[in-house]
Amino acid sequence: MRSFRTNFPVVIVIAALQLAVSCTPESCLEETVVEIKAPLYLNSTQEIQAPDSLTLYGLNSVSGKIYSSAKDVKKVLFPLDPSAESCGFVIRINGAFDTIMMNYDSYPHLISQECGYAYYHTIDSLTFTKNIIDTIIIKNRFVTTANEENFRIFY
Amino acid sequence: MRRISAYFISILILLFSGSSVANGQTEPPDSVLIPLKIRIGAEVTGPVIYLTDRANLSTEGFISADLNEIFALFLGTGYSDYRYSQYNYEYLSKGFFLKAGVDFNILRPEKAMGKYWAGIGLRYGLSSFTCEIPSFEYENYWGTIVTSIPPSKYFGHYLEASPGFKAEIFRNFSMGWSVNIRKLVYTGAGKDLRPIYFPGYGKGGESMSFGISYYLVWNIPFKKIKVEVKKEEPEETQESEIL
Repeated sequence: MRSFRTNFPVVIVIAALQLAVSCTPESCLEETVVEIKAPLYLNSTQEIQAPDSLTLYGLNSVSGKIYSSAKDVKKVLFPLDPSAESCGFVIRINGAFDTIMMNYDSYPHLISQECGYAYYHTIDSLTFTKNIIDTIIIKNRFVTTANEENFRIFY
Repeated sequence: MRRISAYFISILILLFSGSSVANGQTEPPDSVLIPLKIRIGAEVTGPVIYLTDRANLSTEGFISADLNEIFALFLGTGYSDYRYSQYNYEYLSKGFFLKAGVDFNILRPEKAMGKYWAGIGLRYGLSSFTCEIPSFEYENYWGTIVTSIPPSKYFGHYLEASPGFKAEIFRNFSMGWSVNIRKLVYTGAGKDLRPIYFPGYGKGGESMSFGISYYLVWNIPFKKIKVEVKKEEPEETQESEIL
């Protein structure tokens, strides 16, 4: 028994080391924002070009504007509502209004232990008015944290 | 105190002793009697950590049986109760794991003598557990959602290599440690809701995991075998080559 008692401090030291390692908090370093990434293309040139002015807000949202008369926006970011299966946006490009409606599925996704969970989406369908928007092409239906082009908006 | 000193010093002596027998004064024996043993062990760091961190309990025990002076069959099992919380979610995981494999003793029989083990264990692990997210909060432009994900059952598979050392510190009672290097081979879950923690493996977000285990082992000798001692070839000296 004496040997066990004399060895016990060794167990404590190893356990303390393990505890110190396991309890060291780690930071969330991954991207956690899930948004549709949609570059704006000028229809006449087929090149990415920022409009002179861009305003965007969600239909029936109380959160205000996502962009408010913003300049130099080449890529529009649309956050989707994970508590609904569809949501709409009002977009104003150079003073002309259009409405974009999206239908989608949402599902939780573990980003990492440190960052926790976010909602990813799969776009089912898309409708829009054509006051200034000419075409919207869906390039990638899967909306994640990845920096990938989801839509191309031609105006 | 003598025993604990002997325990650590024996690691160095056994690992670096090399050809001490060959260089000694006495002639090494032609054969040695090695007791084959059944070993029943418990990992102690998990319960000790639980005394300070009540959120996480990890217990592990094993039984192994010597096949000969080198190989032993290994069967281990354990239970884990893991809780984790962050600013935006909580996570619970409970389950068992089972490990099976072989242990290789790399010590020469005349050094090990059935009392010392230095080598590597190679194991296949199966982790069976349930996990749930009792609450998680997600916030974006449209507002804040607080929701939960109900319990789901998972099976994870992993491989483990465990180099280590064990020494008999008094009759039929050993202590030892091992460094555990694990490779997750199958998570049993999709890419969206992969488990954060696998019992017996560790963090599920990483394809490799590392750990240290410290064991208390009860040895039950069941048979003695005679093992021939391989004689080392005497090294030719430069002087003898000249002669």
